[in-house]
Amino acid sequence: MQEKVFSIINEILAAKELPTVFEFEKEARLREDLGFTSFDLAELTVKIEDEFNIDIFENGLVSTVGEIFIKLNK
Amino acid sequence: MIFLFDGDNEYTYGDLFKGLHENNLFYPFYKTKDVFSFFVNLVKGLVSNQSFSLIDGDINLSELNGIDINQINVPCDISPLSFTSLNEVVEAVSKSTSEITIFTSGTTGQPKNVIHNISTLTRSVRIGDRYVGQVWAYAYNPTHMAGLQVFFQAFLNLNSLVNVFNKTRAFIYEQIADKKITHISATPTFYRLLLPFEIEFHSVIRVTLGGEKSEQHIYNSIKKIFPNAKINNVYASTEAGSLFASKGDCFQIPEVLRDKFLVEDEELLIHKSLLGSSESFNYSGDFYKSGDLIEWIDKESGLFKFKSRKNELINIGGYKVNPGEVEKELLAIDGVQQALIYGKANSILGNVLCADVQLIPGYILTELEIKKTLGKKIQDFKVPRRIKFVDEITLTRTGKLKRI
Repeated sequence: MQEKVFSIINEILAAKELPTVFEFEKEARLREDLGFTSFDLAELTVKIEDEFNIDIFENGLVSTVGEIFIKLNK
Repeated sequence: MIFLFDGDNEYTYGDLFKGLHENNLFYPFYKTKDVFSFFVNLVKGLVSNQSFSLIDGDINLSELNGIDINQINVPCDISPLSFTSLNEVVEAVSKSTSEITIFTSGTTGQPKNVIHNISTLTRSVRIGDRYVGQVWAYAYNPTHMAGLQVFFQAFLNLNSLVNVFNKTRAFIYEQIADKKITHISATPTFYRLLLPFEIEFHSVIRVTLGGEKSEQHIYNSIKKIFPNAKINNVYASTEAGSLFASKGDCFQIPEVLRDKFLVEDEELLIHKSLLGSSESFNYSGDFYKSGDLIEWIDKESGLFKFKSRKNELINIGGYKVNPGEVEKELLAIDGVQQALIYGKANSILGNVLCADVQLIPGYILTELEIKKTLGKKIQDFKVPRRIKFVDEITLTRTGKLKRI
């Protein structure tokens, strides 16, 4: 699961011509540290939803990479 | 008096005044990412009664339909300006006879242009002592209708603007606190991105939402973050500017405008006297077919609710995407046999733009390659965020692409 989420994040970074990363810190903040815009966040949710059938942003509460896993493990 | 805060830059109304008198050059087709220069040029054009077009700073030249690329950023001479005070400038702006052309994504695959004058653009602007000293978060693209509305509301009262368009949540919060922002007008997406609630901001007294339908939980969250704010919704469009504000979750047509609206097969029709002008408007008699489907709550008092859009434009976080335009660009890529663009419901943007792509047998293309190719041809918000490769795209019986 973790690997899949990382690869989705990397896909988004790659499309913005930003360097991809092998592994992300759990504390990494999507908006502030990874520079995700609303469009990037939306892409992330759609792709995670495709994969795991969960809308991680449904309640607007995800701000770090670690919190994605918390949502997915619920 | 500050006119504009833009990142680390601060511009006073004095700077704006100086900018107007600096030289006698005006750009009728000005493409810039610098918001201050954009506004100086806009005001210059208005006070000199020039006609001009507003062009997105990030647009690709190939997207500029109907504009001669050679005109972009080419100045023309105007008569020297000699204002003695800002109030004179404000006065001249409100009496401007300029024709202002705005672009919008059309329904036919071509962007259409709409010509406005200062009265359609400032119809909903309120001026007076009550409006003095406001600080506005500037959360829209300045070349679009909503951005112009906020600009004129602030400028005509000599209020301050704080640019937060496309900025991060942390930056926006910092600006609200630091600049003591009192008014925010933005899309629901903008407010969604301010979540989750962490601290209250007491300086904000008015919050306006526009551009998309919004859900109850957004209102609840906004109320938590800005406990002193009155929240309202506006109905505005590129064609007509701002028309009416909300009453609860309904909209109300003001009594004086009651005869300017009709409803035909649930579709809201707007009288041409309220609109800018465009060759691409679809009229029924003297009324423009808005494409918005509504239902009456109380017809007598003009109270109604929006149901949906009639046409196929996909609303991506307040940006309107014409699926046909993006499909055309996809089909222009070597190896693409068939393409279908659609919106997928999403909690952040309302919709995410998605594409199904069928490749010509033997070709190999990746999602990233397609995105990069499109990114060079069309604006970022029109590039699909999820591309699925499929074996077949279903067509309707008339041979049209079947939309989901």
